[in-house]
Amino acid sequence: MNHQALWRLLVFTALAGCGRQRPPEHSLRVAIINDPIMNAPLSPDIGSVLINKVIFPGLVRPSDSLTPSPDLAASWTISDDGRQYTFVLRSGVFWHDGRPFSSADVKFTFDQILDPTSGTLQWSDFSVVDSVVTIDSLAVRFWLKSPFAPFLTLLGHNAGIIPAHAFHGKIAEAVSFNRSKPIGTGPFQVVESVPGSYVVLATNPRYYGDKPKLDRIIFKIVPDVNAQVAQLQAGELDLVTLEPANLRGVESEPELRIDQISVPQHYYIGFNQGLPLFKPKAVRRALTLAVNRQAIIDGVLRGFGDFPQGTIPVALRDYFADSLPKIVYDTTAALSLLGEAGWHRGADGVLANQVGQRFQFTLLVDKGNPSREQTAVAVQQDLRKIGVAVTINTMEFASMVRDYVVPHRYEAYLVWWNTPLDPDQFSYYGSGQSNNDVLYSNPTADSLLAAGRATMDPAKRRQAYLEFQAVEAVDPPVLVLYYPREIQVRRAVLRGLPPLGIRDAMRHSERLYFEPR
Amino acid sequence: MLRLLGARLLQGAIVLWIVTTATFVLIHAAPGGPAVLADPKLSAVERTAIEHQLGIDRPLPVQYLAWQSSMLRGDLGRSFLYQTPILETVLNRLPNTLLLVALALIAALALALPVGLYVGARPGTPIDRFVATANFTALAIPPFWFGIIALLIVAAQWHLLPAGGMMTPGVEISVIDRIRHLILPVAVLAFPIAAELIRFTRSAVREAWTAPHLAPAMARGLGARAVSRSHVLRNALLPILTVLGLQVPMLVGGAAVTETVFAWPGMGRLGVEAALGRDYPLVMGITVIVAATVVLTNLLLDLAYRWADPRVRTEG
Amino acid sequence: MKRSFLPLALLALFAFGGPIWYRIDPTAIDLGRTVAEMSRAHPLGTDESGRDVLARLMTGGQVSLLVGILAGVVALLVGTIVGALATARHPWLSAATSRLLDAAMAVPSFFILLVTVTLFGGSTTTLVLAIGSTAWMSIARLVRAESLSLRERDYVTVARALGQPPVAVFRRHILPHLVPTLVAAASVGVAQAVLAESALSFLGLGIEPPTASWGNMLTGAQQNLSQAPWLAIYPGLLIVLTVLAVNAIGESAHLRSRVA
Repeated sequence: MNHQALWRLLVFTALAGCGRQRPPEHSLRVAIINDPIMNAPLSPDIGSVLINKVIFPGLVRPSDSLTPSPDLAASWTISDDGRQYTFVLRSGVFWHDGRPFSSADVKFTFDQILDPTSGTLQWSDFSVVDSVVTIDSLAVRFWLKSPFAPFLTLLGHNAGIIPAHAFHGKIAEAVSFNRSKPIGTGPFQVVESVPGSYVVLATNPRYYGDKPKLDRIIFKIVPDVNAQVAQLQAGELDLVTLEPANLRGVESEPELRIDQISVPQHYYIGFNQGLPLFKPKAVRRALTLAVNRQAIIDGVLRGFGDFPQGTIPVALRDYFADSLPKIVYDTTAALSLLGEAGWHRGADGVLANQVGQRFQFTLLVDKGNPSREQTAVAVQQDLRKIGVAVTINTMEFASMVRDYVVPHRYEAYLVWWNTPLDPDQFSYYGSGQSNNDVLYSNPTADSLLAAGRATMDPAKRRQAYLEFQAVEAVDPPVLVLYYPREIQVRRAVLRGLPPLGIRDAMRHSERLYFEPR
Repeated sequence: MLRLLGARLLQGAIVLWIVTTATFVLIHAAPGGPAVLADPKLSAVERTAIEHQLGIDRPLPVQYLAWQSSMLRGDLGRSFLYQTPILETVLNRLPNTLLLVALALIAALALALPVGLYVGARPGTPIDRFVATANFTALAIPPFWFGIIALLIVAAQWHLLPAGGMMTPGVEISVIDRIRHLILPVAVLAFPIAAELIRFTRSAVREAWTAPHLAPAMARGLGARAVSRSHVLRNALLPILTVLGLQVPMLVGGAAVTETVFAWPGMGRLGVEAALGRDYPLVMGITVIVAATVVLTNLLLDLAYRWADPRVRTEG
Repeated sequence: MKRSFLPLALLALFAFGGPIWYRIDPTAIDLGRTVAEMSRAHPLGTDESGRDVLARLMTGGQVSLLVGILAGVVALLVGTIVGALATARHPWLSAATSRLLDAAMAVPSFFILLVTVTLFGGSTTTLVLAIGSTAWMSIARLVRAESLSLRERDYVTVARALGQPPVAVFRRHILPHLVPTLVAAASVGVAQAVLAESALSFLGLGIEPPTASWGNMLTGAQQNLSQAPWLAIYPGLLIVLTVLAVNAIGESAHLRSRVA
């Protein structure tokens, strides 16, 4: 053995051999991007949502077929008018601190959610709830102001139940609970929390459901996506969701698997329909025809997306209008529609109307996300081909929303909606509704959307949303770009993940396990 | 000495006041608002409730005075993002950054002093020229780039060292584990400082060798080694301390980049998150605490400076 | 001294002169051809959006060099003025500026830079002003130290005794002797500004895409490092070369000041 080899061997043993620490087997390591606030009503924010789904089960949870299935509630009945939901709670459920779970906890949780001053971020999800009353210690009734079909789905979305006995005063100020010692009823409970580093959860021996298969779930705080990729490659993370752009580094790793899941999201360009330019539906339909969305899906998303129909994504299988004709890329059709709307190409190739006004607008995009920036440039290039001049303005997401979108001081912007597993879009596209920032207004769409949320009969609901999508094809509320697929990268030996987006999958954390080698 | 200390502390307080006021003006002059308000799904009712809860519905002068007065009482407020007391949040992270910065300084000094002394005493030799060129190049490489490459090669490809974090979660805390997590970030942080220090040590040593008081010492028959130790080192130490003093504020902020690359739970990263999330109280809290740390460090360095050079002691 | 400007001039020629004959749009994306290797159409290949790498290196160089040099100039101006004022014979003026200088030195400048750029966004103007106004302190210190020693020289004392106003004394008798020092200091400032821009880009805070800068090109290349290392090597190399070129100017100015 020569000198150099010996030296290298020494370094290797020093660094790699002794002292290499591996967490005990059956520990799942998941990346989150910031210190979580471990309190379900307070935080559907991206860094906290995964961990809260593990710690705090809700009354129901989405099944593998996306329908609400029993969780803390064993069963429920709905009154004929759709305004009363009565839940019978599971018996023998205990909080992580050993206290029994009861209907008082459910009432307490929803009293917090229904009080916007409590710091909750779920008020608008449940603004339809009039009151919550406990019937006995294991039964609770919700009174709704009007029939509301998405209600059960929303209960299984972010509305985890928190323990009434753990709070004295505002839940937002319970720092010790929220940051290091949360108490839930879920299959795993927090045993260690190091700010900025990680949160360790261990099996909850009192869990009411199937015995969890993993010993631990460790949520590691890794804000930078490239650092996440490096940790994945180094074997220090087991499950991460990535964007297509970050995938090249992990595709060749034999120990990793890439799963694609359709999730209820639609990415779109919103046009301000308060402006005369975007008021005519022909113009919005023409712009939809003029953008080569398949090229964006193939090029920007590298195929990890689905070609869109309307605003109801393909992930909502029962409600997606599969049979409607697709609006495919067609610049000729776009130009003829624009011609009918009074826009003609001048000698310079730029579209102009009779008074000489040119077809141009500014597109707002949030900065820092390569996929969305690339999409914006692709749209700009496509529209230039039909003589529409687009200026791209990248800015901080918070500033875009607060200073431009919400006060309607914009021409167009590129964003997305990330919805519960329900087709209800009344608040987004109903005339004058709170989230209708594109100022879309179509009376037929209004009545269909209103009927869709108020009808309890699944067949009638489905019909309403299919008709809504037919309306959208003629009078598009927004230019839907694509339905992205969530890309879950996991260690190949990690099994038991339900075929759901990672957020919903985490509602089933007791099912996850590592395949024995 | 005590009077001097008092004067310096007073100056420090003024500096802190300027810094906090400037930060307050800066963050409120900027477009956008707290990230919790960025959710387009929030209704007007929720927006109003959140603004009230955060206290940002009050007029700016009122917010400023309220913040200044509670700061004087030692209360830095509550983070918008984390809903935790600022002082606790920052003090959780500060030791991690200080550990990184201190170890990086020590590592840089440990490398730079011997190398600098060695080549400084041999101006113009091939080894001197080699070190100078290496230094030049080292200073020209963006440090974060060096960090990413190190991370990808050493951790992701070779699996020699951990790819990030401060310790392996879920296991007993061990010193070796901590050290393994420290090696890469400390090396990346120390690398440019070492280059800078070698440059200064080299020229300081060169000048110290040509200092007039060395000739009598040599004439008294002291050997070159003894001269080097007692005279050259002490004289070279002054400019080195100065450079160190200049590096500290840069380091504390510059650690943000290293902390991001290595998922290190330090203050720099917290600062970036706070600024990105428009967490007003956290941004201001971090600025105050970082500035206070720097003021204190500079004070300590000042004292060290006085100790190293008796001539400065008389100056005020 | 003049010859030491050559490397930087060549880099500037590449960035500003290049696009005159190489007329490919640096922002045009080609989603069918992303991360492509060298070809006739794209001599240095394409990036993650299918944009031409050579064209982006040129326009990116314009931004990076401009930010570096202008920020260096801002730092130089502020530093010289503050440094000169700190040596003024007027007791109030010098005390106030000296305290200001101390205050500025105590501030964690990169952190302030981070906050400023996060809050106000990464336009060229913001970056120049933000980087420039956090890098002037070392220049001010240098100017203060040098002019304190210069002003004790005989010809300065004579000029003052002849009744010349202090500003004129500084301009005519002190400033010219400061030039080599200033060039050296400014070169450090420019080098730091180029590096600062790239570090800010890494944190997602530098020049905002789709405008190219060498810094954000490096950042974009991170995702494809193992498949397309060249995407990282070109801008990285140009940053290193720029910093070396600028330092070379500084070094030669420094040597000249020693000789003089």
